Amino acid sequence: MELSDADLLARVVVDGDHHAFGELVRRHQSPVRGMLRQLTRADVELADDLAQETFIRAYKNIRSFRGEAKFSTWLYRVAYNVFREHARKRKELVGIDEEQLQQQADPQTTDPALRHDLMSALGQLPLHERSAIVLCCQNGLSHDEAARVLDIPLGTVKTNVLRGREKLKKILSAWAT
Amino acid sequence: MNDPLEDLLDARLREEAPYIDDNGFTALVMQRLPSRPSSLQTQRSIVILSAAILSVVVAYFASGEGMFVHDTFARLSLLPPLQLLALFVVCGIAMLTSGVWAALSRTRSPIL
Repeated sequence: MELSDADLLARVVVDGDHHAFGELVRRHQSPVRGMLRQLTRADVELADDLAQETFIRAYKNIRSFRGEAKFSTWLYRVAYNVFREHARKRKELVGIDEEQLQQQADPQTTDPALRHDLMSALGQLPLHERSAIVLCCQNGLSHDEAARVLDIPLGTVKTNVLRGREKLKKILSAWAT
Repeated sequence: MNDPLEDLLDARLREEAPYIDDNGFTALVMQRLPSRPSSLQTQRSIVILSAAILSVVVAYFASGEGMFVHDTFARLSLLPPLQLLALFVVCGIAMLTSGVWAALSRTRSPIL
């Protein structure tokens, strides 16, 4: 019989059971790594480093998970925070920020071959819209869950998803012609 | 009727989120995990053990530096051999039962 996330969490918290935490990592590694790949614009190596950091931080702070949301939602939140911290450090060190990347990834200047790749289309969205699209449309989170992960109001999530989708549709319609 | 562009977008977004094989990722995370944080159970064990040791020390000095142990052994040595054997057997069975019960209470179903 397969144990639920709650059972495994209980084992980690009460008994410090490493194997139980390993099982949680195995179960959730794919969506967490997938989300981080999208947020890092498909930088697989960086995304996997951030995913490792996510699980290590989750382990260290596992007692702060109170079961008010799903464990996966909590993990997404940890992953998003890890990504935000990395992005902030990168901006401080290299001076690259989202707006700059945004200008670099202008749809009009992007290689036409890349336009046919949804990854590149997603990469053209600003971070707040990209995060909302990745969580809600790709990972199947509800708007409410995404609001918890991103720590923003529910209405803002809905707006970001709507705007992001409109932009993606424009890019897609350009592909279709 | 659904907008075909909406359908295309949904389909493409789902395609972009395939299952990512573990390929040693979990093992890498497990290697990097810090030593296990002291659990509530460990803390409880430490408190109980400390309290037990303190009680023994207090009892030892409060009872005239363990004279009661000396008296008990003196009384036991006066028992007939059969009664002494019965006492040891009962104590042995009690300890065995406690050990088996403790071992069984630690056994859990496998994770996978």
